[in-house]
Amino acid sequence: MPMIKAEKLCRQYGNQFAVKDLSFEVKRGEVMGLLGPNGAGKSTTMKMLTCFLPPSSGDASIDGLSLAESIQVRRLVGYLPEHAPSYHDLDVESYLQFTGKMHGIPSATRKDKIKEMAGACGLEQVIFRRIEELSKGYRQRVGLAASMLHDPQCLILDEPTTGLDPNQIVEIRHLIRRLGEQKTVLLSSHILPEVQAVCDRMMIIDKGELQALGTSDELAKQAQGGSSLTAIIQGDVDKVLTKLKQTLAEVEVSQQDQVEDNQTQVELYHPDPNAPLAENLFHAAVSEGVVLLEMRNEKASLEDVFHQLTQGSEVQS
Amino acid sequence: MNAVIALAQKEWRINLDTPQGYVVSIAFLLASGFFFGSNLFLSGQADMRQWFAMLPLLYIFFIPAMSMRLLADELHDGTYELLATMPTRTIDIVLGKYVSLMGHITFLLMLTWLYPLTLSLLGNVDMGTVMASYLGAWLLAALFAAVCLYASALTSHAMIAYIVGLILLLVFFLLTQVSPTLPVFIQDWIVMFGPINHYQNMMRGVVNLADVMLFVSGVVIFLSLSWFALERRRWR
Repeated sequence: MPMIKAEKLCRQYGNQFAVKDLSFEVKRGEVMGLLGPNGAGKSTTMKMLTCFLPPSSGDASIDGLSLAESIQVRRLVGYLPEHAPSYHDLDVESYLQFTGKMHGIPSATRKDKIKEMAGACGLEQVIFRRIEELSKGYRQRVGLAASMLHDPQCLILDEPTTGLDPNQIVEIRHLIRRLGEQKTVLLSSHILPEVQAVCDRMMIIDKGELQALGTSDELAKQAQGGSSLTAIIQGDVDKVLTKLKQTLAEVEVSQQDQVEDNQTQVELYHPDPNAPLAENLFHAAVSEGVVLLEMRNEKASLEDVFHQLTQGSEVQS
Repeated sequence: MNAVIALAQKEWRINLDTPQGYVVSIAFLLASGFFFGSNLFLSGQADMRQWFAMLPLLYIFFIPAMSMRLLADELHDGTYELLATMPTRTIDIVLGKYVSLMGHITFLLMLTWLYPLTLSLLGNVDMGTVMASYLGAWLLAALFAAVCLYASALTSHAMIAYIVGLILLLVFFLLTQVSPTLPVFIQDWIVMFGPINHYQNMMRGVVNLADVMLFVSGVVIFLSLSWFALERRRWR
């Protein structure tokens, strides 16, 4: 049974769909990234999954429990809303105490639980400081600790690293990665390398609709639709390319630049994603007595995929 | 139930840890002390009628100040989203906030017991009347607190919550004040439903079930409205 399963989830604000017919599954123990441009419906999706907003139509289930069984679902889910809100007038310890009480953690185990989570999130140094005095990174960690205090099966994190400096981002990423070993995590972001670094699979949504779902390699392949290769050749380029076209008829030269005297950079493209471009180029070069200085396999980057899938909305808006 | 207590504790904690709670409390006690003292020396009588008559006016300015941030700040800071995704019902959130607010008001009213105690040293105080008046004052505060909590649920700006609360309470107060100039059938309605009128009944030292019930039902109505205001946000 998948941990999170959304079926035709819709949310309307007035006549406008914030989320439209969104269906997906997140497997147990998986870290899933939710990608999309601003206003794509990422936060709305998360708010529905955490029972903050009721869906206009459709349903989702967490661990087999429908969102309608809201109180039970909330026990299973730990949620970190965007900007990690917390009570700035409280110190970290009393804030975590409050969260623990609200989740009904018995007082006997609450203290240990808080200690454990403060340790996991690196909060020991600031446990008696007021949240107001903490840096953004620490506040984010406080939010994470609070969301995990009741030991939820499933963590839903809305942009957990916005506003952090690069060091803090790395720390939070490690933390999420570590958590992902035991828990199911759904996190949203518009920072692509982050999702790539942290998530097992990702989905891209735009205008509230699912555009793509898979691992970053799958998405890259899907976007590219063929294979491509960049090579730097020393010697007679045209002879090699003619030879190559004899073995692979559909090869196209998408770009050809003179980089230095007698050295040419060529970009090759073949519509079949599994075409043996590199092998054939190598054999062609050997048989023509030409030197290959460099060959690299250019995958479409996640940026390209993202851009391709969400461009429509940016052009229109 | 756990959630109600946890929330109330959290609010008290914030009240104790930050200046806002102290400022409101001290200002309330200064104003109430001033009215008590000035009336005492003017009338030269060992009774608290004048002070109890003044009390609703103090409420009008101070209860909105005590309640304004309770829900409005949660909505403003996004912490309401945290509360609403914890395994608690919305009504528990409303009740927790209400209990904390009533705790604050009750504490302040208890501090004013110093006045009748002082009076009892000076003269013969009719303690029965004073106790009935205190009960009336507490019930009136309970109603006003529910009204102001509702004002706080309507907006995400504490200042607007204050103004709305103040206006709602002023309407209650002024209706009773101007009722003699209004047509008779409206006067009857005001006598029946005006909270200040019922408070004045209790100030005479008579505790009537009808008076108590009016306050209790008023509290239930405004707490339900607060609940509704919070729930409505989810469906917008």
